[in-house]
Amino acid sequence: MSITELLQRCELFARLTPEQIERIAALGQGVVYNAGEVVIREGEPSDEMYVIRSGMVEVLVSRGVIPDVPGPPQLTPLVSLGQGQFFGEMALVDRGARSATVRCVRDGTVLYVIPRQAFWALCDSDHHIGYIVMRNIASDLSFKLRHRNIQVKLAGGEP
Amino acid sequence: MIYKVSYVVVGKPHMGTIVNLDAPPRVGDQVQLGDELCEVAEVVDLIPPSEDFAYLHVTCRLVQEAA
Repeated sequence: MSITELLQRCELFARLTPEQIERIAALGQGVVYNAGEVVIREGEPSDEMYVIRSGMVEVLVSRGVIPDVPGPPQLTPLVSLGQGQFFGEMALVDRGARSATVRCVRDGTVLYVIPRQAFWALCDSDHHIGYIVMRNIASDLSFKLRHRNIQVKLAGGEP
Repeated sequence: MIYKVSYVVVGKPHMGTIVNLDAPPRVGDQVQLGDELCEVAEVVDLIPPSEDFAYLHVTCRLVQEAA
């Protein structure tokens, strides 16, 4: 699957024309990760967004971290994401630090990495792209929140 | 149509999975979620379809736990 085909099948870029998707495809590059590799780490600065071309990642958050106590934080898995999904999009919206850690689950997981600055420059030069993508990000965040709400209900209210 | 599917597993703490599929899952299908084999128990529309995307929620039960 080419990068353009991948992005056409990604909800984030739904309703964009093939020409607009080509322009986005030209911004980033593919990176290969192996199982266990951390792609982004909670609390670190954020400069990129990722689209999963193949493989699987898991999203984890730290819980019960006690300041000044040595050792790695305990990570709780939130969700796993497969082909066509994306993560790191919150950085595009709020420029805040990473809200979760994302770790690869499968060897040879291929991620398409889109730099925030280049993407914003494209959105500034073409407001239609910016409008559509921001609407799609809102839709995806809503989907993930609904998924999470069901998870919490199944767990009896324990987040 | 691309099917964006949210999977959850009942009866066991499980993080769930979100993935895009070319065909909709059906009740009785078996699906591998991480290390665990699960069976689809229910498929519902999570939100109405839009353009080329359908948004489904799938509830699964565990068939085989991870070793």
